[in-house]
Amino acid sequence: MKKKIQLTLNGKSTSIEVPNHRLLLDLLRDEIGLTGTKEGCGTGDCGACTVYLNGKPVNSCLVLSGELDGADIVTIEGLKIGPELHPVQKAFIQDGGAQCGYCTPGMLMMSKALLDENPNPTEEEIRYALSGNLCRCTGYAKIIQAVQDAAVMIRNKHVQ
Amino acid sequence: MAELTVIGKPVTRVDVNEKVTGEAIYGYDLVLPNMLYGKTLFSLKAHARIKNINTEKAKKLPGVVTVVTAEDAPWTHGESIKDKPFLAQGKVRYIGEPVAAVAAEDEDIAQAAVKLIEVEYEDLPVYTEPEEACKPGCVAIHEDFAKYRKVDFIVGSHLPNVAEHFKLRTGDVEIGFKQSDLVVEERYFVPIIQHAAMEPHSAHAQFDKESGRLTIWVANDAPFRALHEITESLNMPKEKIRFINPLQGGGFGSKGGLKVEPIAVALAFHTNGRPVRVKFNREETFISTLTRHEAVVYCKSGVKKDGTLMAREMTIYWGAGAYAEKSPTVCIRGSLPAPGPYRIPHVKVDGYAVYTNKPVAGSYRGYGIPQGAWACEQQMDEIAKRLGMDPVEIRMKNIFVEGDVSYWGERLHAVGLKETLIKATEAVDWGKATEAPRPGVKIGKGFACIQKPTRSPTTSNAGVMVNSKGEVTVLAGTVEIGQGCNTILSQVAAEELKVPMEKVFMHPLDTDIIPYDASTTSSRSTYHMGNAVRRAAIHARQQITEAAGPMLEANVQDLDFGDGKVFLKDQPQMALPIGEVVKRKLGINGIVRGDGSYTYEIGKDLDLETGHSDHASAFYMYATQAAEVAVDEESGRVRLLRMSAAHDVGKAINPLNCVAQIEGGVAMGIGSALHEEMVVDKTGKVRNPSFLDYHLVTSLDVPKMIPIIVECPEPEGPYGAKGLGEPGLAPTPAAIGNAVADALGVRVYDLPLKPENVYWAIQNKRKKDAA
Repeated sequence: MKKKIQLTLNGKSTSIEVPNHRLLLDLLRDEIGLTGTKEGCGTGDCGACTVYLNGKPVNSCLVLSGELDGADIVTIEGLKIGPELHPVQKAFIQDGGAQCGYCTPGMLMMSKALLDENPNPTEEEIRYALSGNLCRCTGYAKIIQAVQDAAVMIRNKHVQ
Repeated sequence: MAELTVIGKPVTRVDVNEKVTGEAIYGYDLVLPNMLYGKTLFSLKAHARIKNINTEKAKKLPGVVTVVTAEDAPWTHGESIKDKPFLAQGKVRYIGEPVAAVAAEDEDIAQAAVKLIEVEYEDLPVYTEPEEACKPGCVAIHEDFAKYRKVDFIVGSHLPNVAEHFKLRTGDVEIGFKQSDLVVEERYFVPIIQHAAMEPHSAHAQFDKESGRLTIWVANDAPFRALHEITESLNMPKEKIRFINPLQGGGFGSKGGLKVEPIAVALAFHTNGRPVRVKFNREETFISTLTRHEAVVYCKSGVKKDGTLMAREMTIYWGAGAYAEKSPTVCIRGSLPAPGPYRIPHVKVDGYAVYTNKPVAGSYRGYGIPQGAWACEQQMDEIAKRLGMDPVEIRMKNIFVEGDVSYWGERLHAVGLKETLIKATEAVDWGKATEAPRPGVKIGKGFACIQKPTRSPTTSNAGVMVNSKGEVTVLAGTVEIGQGCNTILSQVAAEELKVPMEKVFMHPLDTDIIPYDASTTSSRSTYHMGNAVRRAAIHARQQITEAAGPMLEANVQDLDFGDGKVFLKDQPQMALPIGEVVKRKLGINGIVRGDGSYTYEIGKDLDLETGHSDHASAFYMYATQAAEVAVDEESGRVRLLRMSAAHDVGKAINPLNCVAQIEGGVAMGIGSALHEEMVVDKTGKVRNPSFLDYHLVTSLDVPKMIPIIVECPEPEGPYGAKGLGEPGLAPTPAAIGNAVADALGVRVYDLPLKPENVYWAIQNKRKKDAA
């Protein structure tokens, strides 16, 4: 059954008619055409599809469209701050945090979520925060480094 | 050599911006205009005859455009042995084999239609153990094996279900064992694991009746080989088939050959010209794409009291799964160096690639080296222990050094193994004991060495184009699978033309436009394609030099390149931007194109009777990794404390990228060492086809890693470079296994080193000690 829902997507208000059972992941990718959010497993085990739903990171493959009326959603396409890359994006570039890049959008969303809550995380806290986001290329070393560096960038900016 | 400007520098990846913004389009993301959605019906039986397939109900479902079975696609494919049908023909050989497929107006309809297809099966005996499946008297999984088209190195076997038998014969092992003071013999086991690239598999295909052209969009790591395979299967001219590569979200060996492609192609011939997309979800990727070979390895070694290796005999059963795929070459190239990087006068190896009723095994990062190393490197430690020697000492006594002749008859050069051994062990403070944190926890250290060949002989071609703006476009068939080739190859072009990196662009991969390349496999790209791009860039540079001579009123030998300009060596102010040279010579739309090709000319195939070749590989990669572990004696849980990895890369063209490859490889190796295994039950069913039940390494599982780059230059390689992609995970399990044995005084012979395997090894030793 299709239902008309109202969303705020990456800061813009939008309305769309969608079957209730359509997953948020498929809604974003197939119906709206935002393919930056990746499908790695479809069962909530890999984190590649992480987006912000009402300010919290979620696996978009575990959310049904029927629940989304009035929701505020931010995807990787909305991570930039104006024209500028978010510090986590900059740090991933600088430190080599992406290889094949398929897990990267989810990693970045989860990294931002961590830093929003905890601007000065320890290495252990970063490892814990990212433990639901699988990466097969990097061995996580450069990703953890990038989150640490992004934290420094954000803190320095706040000091200024 | 002139001073290098960008080679050897930790340049930022050229493809990273689009990856951090979500703009990058992967195969799984691709949407084509007017596209249909494909879904596949997979076999639920591991070995059965198909008595009947009824597609009538599925065909009648509104929105279904076509339903195809083997009747509509009566073709087979296979790189070495043409044994795999596009869709099951007459029988199924594993759970997960594609039987039929649907194309429909949307994914939901396609899925609903698949459920309406009825298949009647008649069960046949199921073989799940490679050692069992090749016993005399077993039913043939491939009754028509003798009739299949095959390449000439498939020698066959008198044993049933053997797809390939590799033989290595050097000296006489019986004499070697007689001359030995100690003989050690053991059985080792490596389970099935999976690549688990984060992007699942998919393919798009379209057949245009008017032009008779078939186009396939797929993240395939060897598009030219895939094109060749499809050409052979369909008996179509090569010009009629085109592969276009969207970005690939990892591969590790899983995305070469044909996986989803045959299904998409079978459908595309019945959609009236509309493109069709076939995506596998994660479960389908687990059961129906590719796995790494399980291996049963028997290893017997003879050694003198002083540690000199005298003989090694190995029998390896490689579990091929239901179809041959790359099993013959994994069997050959994995069995060949399995006895390890050592001088051994008497060697005998028999490798058997054995069909089973399990998911198909094929190439996997490391191509058979990890399985051999798991056995051989643990046995080296066992020998050292029994002789009262240090594991470093026994390796030092036997390892390959410059100029040694290997047991397959090749004189080795550029051997950086000893340096990797010294550096990797030093990095974990070898010889210094670490105090256990509490009673019941044991600390141990271990290491392992490997040598890995590359697929040889092979060819890479490249083009380098310079336009009137001084922009450089590289045409190379190497696929960016995450390994960083686009950055490495851009660096090579930038270096030779002395232009800034931001002026260099990689052309998207399209077999209509890009010159032939063998494959993005076997850690061959930096060396082969690096050489080809370098030659192409030098060719372009020559043309620009010749054009610039008259413009600058100079002799060509007096010209040099730098900062995007060509100038007089003596008067650098007399300069022209290279784009300006192109413009003056050819006009504003002019392009100078350089071409380059590299083939390892003297490469020779292995002799089928002895396994010998005096040039078996274009180059060899050497590595040593060392681990320190803490093992809980009560639970059997292994925790990694630190892991060093020293890799001889020849020359690090991009040290940042080398470290990234090493760290990623080690992490993958850790997964295969500690917890990864695809559990297949006796009925042939995969019990854990999800990331919930198949445990990949997470950020919590990876310890402090110490990557070490060793540079022992390969004279033929670009700037001295070898390869690096695969070896990263090859010694890891054996290094960890040796560390666990060091900690416990108990050796675990079966991977993974999961708590229950370690626990039972401890309990069995306790029982034995008590008795």
